[in-house]
Amino acid sequence: MIRVDAGKCLGCLSCSTVCPSQNIVRTETERTRSIHWKRCKEECDLCVELCPAKALALVSFDESVPEPEVCFDLVACKICGSRYATEPMLQRIEALLPEKVQKDASGLAWIRVCPVCRRDIEAERATSQLVLGRSRKSI
Amino acid sequence: MTQVLVATVCPYCGAGCGLYLTVDKEHATGIEFMPEHPASQGALCSKGNAALEILDHPERLTAPLHRNGEEWARISWEEALDRVARGLVDAIKKYGVESVAVLSSSKCSNEENYLVEKLARMLGTANVDNCARLCHAPSVVGLNRTLGAAGMTNPIADIANSKCIFIIGSNLAENHPIISRWIHRAKDAGAVVIVADPRVTHTAWMADILLQLQPGTDVALLNGMANVIIKEGLIDSDYVAQRTRGFEALAESVKEYTPERVSEITGIAAADIIRAARAYAISPASVILYSMGITQHSTGTDNVQAISNLALICGHMGRPGTGVMPLRGQNNVQGACDMGALAEFYPGYRKADDPETIRYFQSAWGVGSMAEAGSTGEDGAGGTGAGNAGNAANAALPLGRGLTATEMIEAAASGRIKAMYIIGEDPANSDPSSKHVREALESLDFLAVQDIFMTATAQMADVVLPAAAWAEKEGSYTNTERRVQWSHKAIQPPGSALSDREIICLLGQRLGLPFDYPDAASVLAEINRVVPQYGGITPDRLTRSRSGLIWPCPNADHPGTPILHSAGFKFAEGRASLVAVPFKPAAEDVSRDYPLILTTGRVAVHHNAGSMTRRSPSLLEREPELYVEINRADAERLNVEDGDMVIVSTPRGQTEARARLTDGVKKGVAFMPFHFPGTNILTAETVDPEARIPEFKVSACNIARRK
Amino acid sequence: MPVYIDISRCIGCRSCEVACKRVHSGHGHVNVHFVGDHASVPIFCHHCEDASCTLVCFSGALHKEGEKTAFDVTRCTGCGLCRLACPFGVVWTDKIAHKCDLCEGRDSPTCVTTCPANALSTDFEEASRRARTRAAIVAAHGGRR
Repeated sequence: MIRVDAGKCLGCLSCSTVCPSQNIVRTETERTRSIHWKRCKEECDLCVELCPAKALALVSFDESVPEPEVCFDLVACKICGSRYATEPMLQRIEALLPEKVQKDASGLAWIRVCPVCRRDIEAERATSQLVLGRSRKSI
Repeated sequence: MTQVLVATVCPYCGAGCGLYLTVDKEHATGIEFMPEHPASQGALCSKGNAALEILDHPERLTAPLHRNGEEWARISWEEALDRVARGLVDAIKKYGVESVAVLSSSKCSNEENYLVEKLARMLGTANVDNCARLCHAPSVVGLNRTLGAAGMTNPIADIANSKCIFIIGSNLAENHPIISRWIHRAKDAGAVVIVADPRVTHTAWMADILLQLQPGTDVALLNGMANVIIKEGLIDSDYVAQRTRGFEALAESVKEYTPERVSEITGIAAADIIRAARAYAISPASVILYSMGITQHSTGTDNVQAISNLALICGHMGRPGTGVMPLRGQNNVQGACDMGALAEFYPGYRKADDPETIRYFQSAWGVGSMAEAGSTGEDGAGGTGAGNAGNAANAALPLGRGLTATEMIEAAASGRIKAMYIIGEDPANSDPSSKHVREALESLDFLAVQDIFMTATAQMADVVLPAAAWAEKEGSYTNTERRVQWSHKAIQPPGSALSDREIICLLGQRLGLPFDYPDAASVLAEINRVVPQYGGITPDRLTRSRSGLIWPCPNADHPGTPILHSAGFKFAEGRASLVAVPFKPAAEDVSRDYPLILTTGRVAVHHNAGSMTRRSPSLLEREPELYVEINRADAERLNVEDGDMVIVSTPRGQTEARARLTDGVKKGVAFMPFHFPGTNILTAETVDPEARIPEFKVSACNIARRK
Repeated sequence: MPVYIDISRCIGCRSCEVACKRVHSGHGHVNVHFVGDHASVPIFCHHCEDASCTLVCFSGALHKEGEKTAFDVTRCTGCGLCRLACPFGVVWTDKIAHKCDLCEGRDSPTCVTTCPANALSTDFEEASRRARTRAAIVAAHGGRR
């Protein structure tokens, strides 16, 4: 069965996606994501191998040990407030990407912004000259 | 995998883009683009890309239905056709031929439209029409009168040759998206674009000059432009002298439309009117594109004539890069009109009130003569299985204009029309004043509706006949360029649905008419004989071509006629008619109770009444609900915020919609798309006196936040 | 190699969205965004040189192949880190990652062919020429056109 190092778990979607027997249950509400590792007797170690944080380990089956469960608050987008990621996942991104790309041309820390707003910002940036020219015509 | 590619023509708009369907084991599994198509070059808009979603749809009608109170009973084709035949014949027997009306579909093929009007007229009724009445009827009337032909004068690709593109009353970026590529090509080569629209539409984004006029003031603008052009000596005097008549009267009539006066009427700056007029006249080749913003008015015919005037006085006609382009909405509304599914025209635009027309078709259709194999090669009168319904084939074809689509509804309400046969149309959603339309249809003795989905109109029918969608039948369709293209059959229709051609033939035979056409090609062969413009558009030439043929194409060696009027007009001395048109305001004006002007229009991902697109998940998810565009200043005054549900009311009724605040409409103007049931509850029934098109584009309304 | 957009041509018809979704079994990779009342632009994968998504992908599913940011589905665990790493918000996760694959296996990207306004292209020279032509005009007008 699975032992989880809660301090390392990112709250990502890997293990719950790869488990071939649906033993890992991921539950999302508007504000939280929780992952529950049910007791399993499987011999595979997919979740362990494919965990990006190496937070999982296989230990021998023990009825008395409670099934691990971790719960994360979903982080709110700095612009629209929608909850789009867990804190550890965002920190992981921040750790992996070079410093200089983490702020865009206007100084915005885009990693803390949700994908939809990122697209909106890109759309505004790309069309700024165009919008300026067109809005003059309709006055 | 035995995958086959079948060439079809998109069932949505009048651009008529070609697309291949991939068929595997009798299922349409995908779409492939058609780069060799002359107008689309392989492009396909969002609707075309979603077209497969209506084929396998669970709500497709698959069996004939008969209404039993609130329930629908599945019946056999035998019973269904008998009921329809009886419904029509009973009305004729009790109340005369005038009590029957047939509404044909501008989505159906040329062959099907031809058979529908033939059936109606051979039954003896003059009441046959199609939805062009709700869209380009003013073009049919106005362009026939001024130019002698009602169709786009130049092909879509020719727009790239233009140096000044004047788009008025058309949001082609959303409604005929592929036309945009040609406009951009023209712009890259230095063309200027003028857009006249009450809203800042996606089309307006292309404009160099934007004329944001008050709804219903187009004649004033066009007269104003003519005023400037004449005053500044920018007319093409040679062209006017040689190719037109009526210039003096026109020049006199536009004198009072000075830029200042027009500015007062339209709300456009006088300087902009002058700039636009000069650009249009000075450019060596200018083209005018227009659509519903011009036609759907009580002055629709005047609006169209004013456009012709402009093009004619500047000589922008009959050459590449010029012309007048009515952008037709439906995939085959041009064809439906060409085939005479119109109250005032027989096939080929022969006038219904001309005895010569009646003589011609009596001969062509073998009517009123003895039952012998006539020159048409058909069996004489009396087909198969006619007995029970009675041999209703009349001795003479009806002379005179029948009731138009809008008049049919009126007549149903007043009890003059007792039985209707509606094919591929949804007047309960498409006609103005929906409440009135529903009451009218409910009061009929008999209503038969033939469609692919159970539309709101079909819900009210006595008998519903399940029809095939575009990919499930073959036939020719005429796009807005007058280009006739063949669409091949890719798959079988679902359940026991039949192609409209088959249904009409079976019905015709039950009615004792010689409707014995084994396939669409045989109908087209007859069309070749009786519609001169289609003379050389034979099944053989069409089925082998990816670019179709553009009419007039009088014989089998003729290459077709992409550009009209290059050698003059079909009138005396080859002269077009300039027609003076005085400005008349729209029928409805604002009042204390209804202080805003509501105008209507379309969006890119939906089509017309939405029976197909609102059932396509890819499209519905992009525009899921009815909304109303409100000017931000108006919204503030009304205490409405973006996203609020509001009630929009007009003298006809009220509808709920989601508020979308924008600066794209001016203060005092609101906009709603008409793809959702509800918009037409609000619109007015006042019609253009000649073309009988309702004034969809101008209603007085009020908006309030829903409590 | 990536798809270039001539933004001035975008008419906001969303054909690219619908077509991309259609050919990718319901997982579209393009989103058209509207900017006020005056413009629209499709946002999709830029196939970045130092693609952030490839930097965070611990399994190697997302990786560079020449100019293209490629995806090997057999390596993907569906973790979702790529979705958060993309600065343009154009990577999605639904059991696996979904992003623009330049329509591998087809003659040309579907969005490019389908665009009614001919706004999309894989031809860098042409896209560059158009953009510079317009920029020169803007510059000549003192940035006021």
